[in-house]
Amino acid sequence: MQHAHPPSSRARRRLASAAFFLAFVASTARADDAMQWLTRAAQAARELNYIGTILYQIGPRVETSRITHLNDGGREFEKLVNLDGPARELIRTQGEVRCYYPDAKLVRVEPRTFRNVFPSLSPQQQQSLSRFYDFRVIGDDRVSGRPVQVVVFQPRDDLRYGHRFWSDAETGLLLKARLLNEKEEGIEQFAFTDISINAPIDRSMVAPSWPVTPKDWRVLEGVSGDVVRQATGWVVTWVPAGFEKIMEGFRRLRGGGERVAHLVYSDGLVSVSVFVEPQDAPSAPIGFVHQGGLNVYSVRHDDHVITVMGETPSATVRQIANSVERR
Amino acid sequence: MSESISRLMDGDVDVAELDAVCASLKSGEAMATWTCYHAIGDALRGEIAVTRDVRGAVASRLAGDPTVLAPRRSVPSTPASWAWAVAATLAAVGVVGWTAYSLVDSTPAGLARMRDAGTMRAAELRPATVPTDLLFAHQEYAPSIMLQGVGPYLRDVAVTREVQP
Repeated sequence: MQHAHPPSSRARRRLASAAFFLAFVASTARADDAMQWLTRAAQAARELNYIGTILYQIGPRVETSRITHLNDGGREFEKLVNLDGPARELIRTQGEVRCYYPDAKLVRVEPRTFRNVFPSLSPQQQQSLSRFYDFRVIGDDRVSGRPVQVVVFQPRDDLRYGHRFWSDAETGLLLKARLLNEKEEGIEQFAFTDISINAPIDRSMVAPSWPVTPKDWRVLEGVSGDVVRQATGWVVTWVPAGFEKIMEGFRRLRGGGERVAHLVYSDGLVSVSVFVEPQDAPSAPIGFVHQGGLNVYSVRHDDHVITVMGETPSATVRQIANSVERR
Repeated sequence: MSESISRLMDGDVDVAELDAVCASLKSGEAMATWTCYHAIGDALRGEIAVTRDVRGAVASRLAGDPTVLAPRRSVPSTPASWAWAVAATLAAVGVVGWTAYSLVDSTPAGLARMRDAGTMRAAELRPATVPTDLLFAHQEYAPSIMLQGVGPYLRDVAVTREVQP
């Protein structure tokens, strides 16, 4: 009996550390699962050729668009045409997006590339994915006639939204995605209603309907999106745990004007932008605006206007905006 | 004033006039007129059952004010223009509602310029919008597994629908 106590205490310790180890392994496994899942979906979207119809819901609105994606020897081309309302189209080629608005006789050219596409997550971001979201495979379903796997990123706090994804079982391509608010109501969603994957697609199918811009159209050239990366003199003193700064610098918006400070934070799944502009010509109205899951909040700070924009609840963007200070 | 209210609902009020018309809505009588006109609109479009009370109100309004329906004949009235009027009015009284983009320069500075130039009608005074320039800048850094490049622009295509009033 005298030596019964020490072994049992040791056993408890051993059990405890084994449990801790298992929990650690389990959480690492979840992080790996989440990353693997995201990586597969991202690669499929880049590498596959597909053509399909997308139903896009934002708030009470529903829009349908036709999308054609071509990967031609590593070069991506994409064409998006809306099927409702005035005919408009978007053409994405390497590093440039052209938006055609024939109803307004307007072309908008965005010389920008997307820099932060998956799977370029830092190890910290990968960890924060599983620390701040519960990643679960829900099961199987069908979307657009194809078998899909349903996964969810359920936030572990109320500072971010939930994400539900339906990915093609065969290729991993995302066929449906939904952003969920804190009441688990869908606030923004897209879904393919029909899709043909690995379809024969040639360059003519991703070419604009207006190879030459008609003379009487206006051309809005976006200024180069290149950011001068440097300390902006502004500091964000609060972001939700798990959000990391991924960029800080100055940029000029369309029309030149003054430099705007732009800081970007991300938790691996969504990003939040912080803009600081001189207050004489702010781009955003003071207060809240939102569009589907995108929340925007602007607040005055002395002679500047701070605007925070991101796919997080409105309380989160407001709290971030109110935490911005001069360094 | 009733004529101004009627034109406001059709989105035909000049910006210069807008403040005065909106201010006048604060008075009980003008608000009654406003409510009454909307009841007429709803009834004309068959959206509500016309109750005895509304009919009574309409009748007394018509008796005292023969101009009520005249502007409605002179301006082709579609449900859309009624909707515009409401949207414009909501914006005018500072309620931020639906946040569609606009190809008109919808920044506060842009709105101020147009207001100064007197080129904007009430119908173009729209609810505050998510600023496109900032949105595009933001989305450049948004992690995206949804359709990579074009996905973010879906928002733009979808919400710029109401650009041309």
